[in-house]
Amino acid sequence: METVSINFLIKDSPTAVAILDLDMCFISHSEIWQRQLAPDSGSLIGKSYYNILPNTPEALRKIYCDCLKGASNSNKGRKFIAANGAITWLSWKINSWKDDNGKIKGLITTLEDITETKRREELLIKAQKVARIGAWEVDLFSDRVYWTQITKEIHEVPLNYVPSLEAGLNFYKKGEHRDNITRLVSDAIRDGTPWDTELIIITAKENELWVRAKGEVEIVDGRPVRIYGTFQDIDEKKKTELNFLKATERLAIATKAANVGIWDMDITTKKLVWDDNMYHLYGIDKKDFESEYQAWRAGLHPDDRTHVYQDIELALSGKKGFDTEFRIIWPNGKKRHIKAMAVVQRDADGNPIKMTGTNWDITDLKTVQGKLQKSEESFEAAFESSNIGMALVGLDGKWIKVNQSLCNSLGYSEADLMQTTFQELTHTDDLDKDLRLFTEVIEGKRQSYQIEKRYHHKNGHIVYVILAVTAVRKINGKLSHFISQIMDISARINAEKKLNRLVDITTEQNDSLLNFAHIVSHNLRSHSSNLSMLSGFLSTEENESEQKNLVNMLRDASESLNETVLHLNEVVQVKVDALDKMKRVNLYSTIMCVEKNLGLLLEEKNAVCHVDIDKNLEIRGISAYLDSIFLNLFTNSIKYSSPERTPVITIVSAQIEDKTVLTFSDNGLGIDLKRHGDKLFGMYKTFHRNKDAKGIGLFITKNQIEAMNGSIEVESTVDVGTTFKLYFDSGCP
Amino acid sequence: MKKIKTACIIDDDPIFIYGTKRLMAEVDFCETVLVFQNGQDAIDGLHKITESGEKLPCVIFLDLNMPVMNGWEFLEDFVKIPNHNREKVLIYIISSSVDPRDLERIKNYEVVNNYILKPISKEDLESALENIF
Repeated sequence: METVSINFLIKDSPTAVAILDLDMCFISHSEIWQRQLAPDSGSLIGKSYYNILPNTPEALRKIYCDCLKGASNSNKGRKFIAANGAITWLSWKINSWKDDNGKIKGLITTLEDITETKRREELLIKAQKVARIGAWEVDLFSDRVYWTQITKEIHEVPLNYVPSLEAGLNFYKKGEHRDNITRLVSDAIRDGTPWDTELIIITAKENELWVRAKGEVEIVDGRPVRIYGTFQDIDEKKKTELNFLKATERLAIATKAANVGIWDMDITTKKLVWDDNMYHLYGIDKKDFESEYQAWRAGLHPDDRTHVYQDIELALSGKKGFDTEFRIIWPNGKKRHIKAMAVVQRDADGNPIKMTGTNWDITDLKTVQGKLQKSEESFEAAFESSNIGMALVGLDGKWIKVNQSLCNSLGYSEADLMQTTFQELTHTDDLDKDLRLFTEVIEGKRQSYQIEKRYHHKNGHIVYVILAVTAVRKINGKLSHFISQIMDISARINAEKKLNRLVDITTEQNDSLLNFAHIVSHNLRSHSSNLSMLSGFLSTEENESEQKNLVNMLRDASESLNETVLHLNEVVQVKVDALDKMKRVNLYSTIMCVEKNLGLLLEEKNAVCHVDIDKNLEIRGISAYLDSIFLNLFTNSIKYSSPERTPVITIVSAQIEDKTVLTFSDNGLGIDLKRHGDKLFGMYKTFHRNKDAKGIGLFITKNQIEAMNGSIEVESTVDVGTTFKLYFDSGCP
Repeated sequence: MKKIKTACIIDDDPIFIYGTKRLMAEVDFCETVLVFQNGQDAIDGLHKITESGEKLPCVIFLDLNMPVMNGWEFLEDFVKIPNHNREKVLIYIISSSVDPRDLERIKNYEVVNNYILKPISKEDLESALENIF
């Protein structure tokens, strides 16, 4: 029957085909069927399909069922996942077969397990996805362009996008990129050259992307028929690469700019490799040298070779990191200072195999360091040997360092001075002013200040100085300490004081000289006018007795004149050379001597004297003047004593700074000082109706005291008494 | 020439007083001469005159340098004397001082008429008379 021939046909069919009856039992099958689907089952004829293939998925069983009712079904590949998770891909085509009456008698089915193929396909797609590799193809006859899904994804176009060759090229970034791809594609079409390039495209969403485009041409009969290739998104990789390039470039620029040379030495072969900067650092033209190692050794300053070799040995042995400085001599003779650092690379056994390091030129730094050191040294020298007192003072006012001049000025040894602060030594009246400025510097309101101030010498006397304070700041701008320059101007100040005193004395003397001139002219004139008047009368007087009277008056007048001249002479004498005659005079014995000489006068008035001064008290003065002064004071006290009380004279002494003050008090008539105060010590000033008053005593007393560098003051209350205060230079200088 | 009634000399120098009196007699200066030894005496005397209701002297010759109260102090007190003809009194300062400070000081006293430098002369008295009348 037909069946035999059909069976025969089926048997040799190149596909897996089987004919089943209504009960799904095999009537016939191809050998391929058995080989592919049931290799170990023996003869299949008459056996149940489901027995042979028990793993037939449920969905396929249902399809078989439907087809037995007349449907036909085909599928090029469907994935089935079994309960145990196993994946099977099947492809089938199922039709029913009928008898002559058109009645369905069974099924003809081709079935193929395409799991392996599908798995490979899937992997490929996955791989493409992961690698972002798409594919494309251009049919040059039809100009039809095909892009895979990935290619579309890379271009960021929708999946239904229909590309064309021109549109594809236009995705490339305008300019260099688009020009390149256009040229490559044209060349390929013309002569079949494949390409492989990296370019930028602008996606449909305006994103810039680096892609790798590869293309090949298929040539048939010497004519290109198709170009195809891959299209890969390499944006991330490319950007990383570009960034790396940039960084490398930047490093190169940086090392070049910083003049840092990089070297690398193979320890075993002693092969030294330099970068360009190294040649620059060593003043060597790269072309002129074959061996960098030789060049390096030759350039080393002979005095530095030993220690550099040692440092290298120490680094290689691992005892010490390589961090050294040395000098090099350029071929042109210039000397440069080099700083070198390196790390040593070792093999698994710890043996050094490579040394990599840097060199940079620190000549400028060295020069600056040298200068700095010199300036520090010269500051040090200036500090120590300066005639001006100098000190470094901490922010707390403590001395950090003081020089000998300052010690000399203040009278302390260096060790003792270091125990004090400037605040302790500063004169109380000057401290506020100094501290205010000091604080202003600390607060940053000023950088320095200069004042004239006083310190206390260790001995207690005052040291006058000009102080200049300058703040020293650290690199970060914060205050570090102060440099104080302290110029001792005590000698100058004392000279100034002396000078001022001299000026005062001179002014005073000038005044008194002028006064004196007027006194002289007045007093002489009053006599001379009398004389001229009297002699005028005498020349015309005829009455003899009146003539006698006039002559008597003339005599009186001339005697008065003579007396006045004597007084004036006395005053002049006081003023001449008084200071040179100054000696140490015992004040007590002087007073006692005067008191004794006036004994009779004092007794007559029952006067009482209290002399309460140290018997050894000495002052600087002129004995004769002192006699005259006390004689005058005693006489005045008696002369102007109150008739209503016993005269009491009290003399006491006190010491005020370098002056001895003698207070001479009485309980006499007193003087209305409001009225007469300004004239008390004037010449020919008298204030009492006393016949003996000549108005010369206190005038001379004042002149004598002033001639001895002293002064006199008076206090008085009418009818209570008078107190004179006499200031003398103390006996001990 | 008319003669004034009373002239006053305030000076502590007897020779000057003698000389002035003598010159006054020569030029027939006044009827009476009043003499005080110092400023204080003069003030006291002039007060007495005022109290007794008499007139103050027409002219006062005042020395500057005197004990107890000098010429300047006299001037201070003089202007306080409550006598109705006080303002008519002419005061001549007579001094041997050529100290410019004194001459300057005199200008501050309105009451002072003029300054006569010692020794006083007949001519001084005559011009004073002319001033009065």
